[in-house]
Amino acid sequence: MRRSSRFWATSGGLAALLALLCALPFLVALYRLDILIFMLINVILAVSYRFLTLAGEYSLGHVVMMGVGAYGSALATKEAGFPVWVAAPLAAAFTGLIAFVLAFPLFRMKGFYFLIGSFAAGEAIRLSWNRFRDPFGGPGGISFIPSPEIPLPVLGTVDLSADPRAYYFLCLAVVIATIVIFYRLERSRFGLTLHAIHWKDVLAESVGVHIWWYKTFALVLASAFAGLAGALLGHYLGTVNPVQFNLHIMLFVLVWVIVGGTRTIAGPILGVAVLTIVDQGLRGLDEWRPLFYGAILILTVMFLPHGLESLPRRAAEWWQAIRSRRRPPVSEDEEPPESDRPPPRDA
Amino acid sequence: MAKKGFTRRQFTGTAAAAAGAVAASSFGAPYVARGAEKVVKLGFLGPLTGEVAGWALPGRNACLIWADQVNAAGGIKIGDDNYMVEIVSYDNEYLTDKSLIGAKKLVLEDEVKLVLMLGGTDAPAAVQFFTKQKMLSTTLLPSDLTPDTLYHLAPAEVHPLYNVTGVEWLAENRPELKTAAICAQDDELGWPSVATYLAAFEAAGIDVVYNKYFDIATTDFAPVVTAMLAENPDIVCLDTAYPDFVNLLCEQLFLQDYKGQIISCTLDFYGRIIEKTSTEFLEGLIFQFPDFDDPAMNEPHINFENPNEFFVNYNERFPDAWSAVTWEYPAIAEMWRLAAEKAGSVEPMDVFAALKEGGRGPHVFGDADWWGEELWGIDNALVGNWPVVQIQNGKATIVEYRNIIDWWNKHGELLKKHTAEQG
Repeated sequence: MRRSSRFWATSGGLAALLALLCALPFLVALYRLDILIFMLINVILAVSYRFLTLAGEYSLGHVVMMGVGAYGSALATKEAGFPVWVAAPLAAAFTGLIAFVLAFPLFRMKGFYFLIGSFAAGEAIRLSWNRFRDPFGGPGGISFIPSPEIPLPVLGTVDLSADPRAYYFLCLAVVIATIVIFYRLERSRFGLTLHAIHWKDVLAESVGVHIWWYKTFALVLASAFAGLAGALLGHYLGTVNPVQFNLHIMLFVLVWVIVGGTRTIAGPILGVAVLTIVDQGLRGLDEWRPLFYGAILILTVMFLPHGLESLPRRAAEWWQAIRSRRRPPVSEDEEPPESDRPPPRDA
Repeated sequence: MAKKGFTRRQFTGTAAAAAGAVAASSFGAPYVARGAEKVVKLGFLGPLTGEVAGWALPGRNACLIWADQVNAAGGIKIGDDNYMVEIVSYDNEYLTDKSLIGAKKLVLEDEVKLVLMLGGTDAPAAVQFFTKQKMLSTTLLPSDLTPDTLYHLAPAEVHPLYNVTGVEWLAENRPELKTAAICAQDDELGWPSVATYLAAFEAAGIDVVYNKYFDIATTDFAPVVTAMLAENPDIVCLDTAYPDFVNLLCEQLFLQDYKGQIISCTLDFYGRIIEKTSTEFLEGLIFQFPDFDDPAMNEPHINFENPNEFFVNYNERFPDAWSAVTWEYPAIAEMWRLAAEKAGSVEPMDVFAALKEGGRGPHVFGDADWWGEELWGIDNALVGNWPVVQIQNGKATIVEYRNIIDWWNKHGELLKKHTAEQG
């Protein structure tokens, strides 16, 4: 079967993007490489968060789940002596387990109540890190967390945290794996059922879909990946503390996802990437930065209510309008075109 | 029909104009080197935005004034050269990851020679990087110091150790006060401070009749104050509460008709507290942070150039913004200047050696000892005199300078005991 030109264009674009991402560490200054590493970790966080929103619920506890992974991996390496390569997946699995336990009370709620419930559950966990100095270190957290090491035959042991380029490629690999897993899941029967639950949960239940299990699985999986992101963060910084996982940071995740858009997996990735660049671009403004950052967010939401991911379509519409000498559509509030809607269950 | 309201286009235009104006004013602020002038850059890595900005932004602003004063006086004299000073700041939002990014930017891109930090939870990753780079850095929180933080100094403040001087002064000058009630926020700032006050009260022979923490999310302090006053204490101790907490606690003490002695680590923006209470109510309150227009700041042992003029300049440029930390960052910068001139170099390790030479250094309140191994495992805190400040006729007034190490030599074991008990 012949591949369509769109397939080849997409594949070419992705290959070029991957090549660029692989070349970036050799092109940028060391401190900018750190920005890229944290950006990649945030991509895992935002993409996993979007997966949770597919089931129709917005959580305020996702960053705390990241913290569970960070603390879990830190304790597993520092106190139990596990190597990072074992501790990080274990911490991710433990985060999933915590999410599973939380699912019992949380999914008795919906919408706004779920939002508040997830915030309360997250704060309960976060404040326990603050409260119990043993083993969580209290407000100061845990420091001197071991970093991932690779034993090489000739070179000896390579400390990845000491080499930002190596850590960047580790994070990049995890990001690619995360995106592929969530992309495939969303396109699978499971993902389509999540879409159905999002849009018509009562109808889905009436045809035999066990909503609780689907939502719980989404929460567990999203939380496990958030935990993995937390482990990556903790082992790179060498320190974790409760402030890193508070509501302030959660609001950033919401902003990334909303500004980027939630219709496709590209939305949150775009949100993280663009807003990280904007944040860095405004650095020279010091204390005035939040003002500009806020203004940019307001303008984005005003002109691109479906997020940055809708920008190519909007640009194409404007271009088409210019070419055909007619006005572009004024409002984005109208019903999205067929191509932007979630795929039907039988697709 | 004419359109009413605010169109997108109008909104965009207005927003862009406002943004441009603010950007222009902000970009114009820092010192810009001219021609072939030599410039030395000092880094400021702290939370310039967010909840903790109150403990960094006033200090950064004060550093800008300090730099202007140094530059106006011809700069820093290093050998035959005069170096102009430029302050480069990075807003770390009090986050560990942003702190590490900022640390690398300041050292590797801006090539600063000193990094001033607030310290605390955002510091560990950045300080580890500084140590590897042999970069001189400073903190206001000596609890950041460890045996591994070789070039990280606490040259201005040894929180909460200096709180003992206020209690000691009170015990000597008001011996009739026999009981105290302590309340403190439940966090890393509150715990060590409570241990210090407990040790100081025990050393002074004052019984602590109430000692409880309140949650950091507390907004209603009426029950906290009621519980304290129920024990009928002679002294109410506000520990190291955040400025908003001190403000609200004072207001509640006033409303609940407390007329006894108050002691606190800080009393930021005390003018606003007086507005809410009264001059009479605050009269005699003891705390630890002076205004720099105090006549006692002109005593010969003070290591700060024109403190009175600095205070006036600061209040002109940033009215009603003087706080406990305002002077600390420029005081450190001034100490660095003296050490750089002594070393004949601005390189971090040369200045570090000059600062530590002879085990003594020019602390803002007088020459002091590099100390701290017993508490933090490294002698990187500059400890000596600290002022006891009292509100007199609505104005912060230094009543005496007392030596912290003298107290430690007599009562250090007490502090160790209470620190262990507080966990």
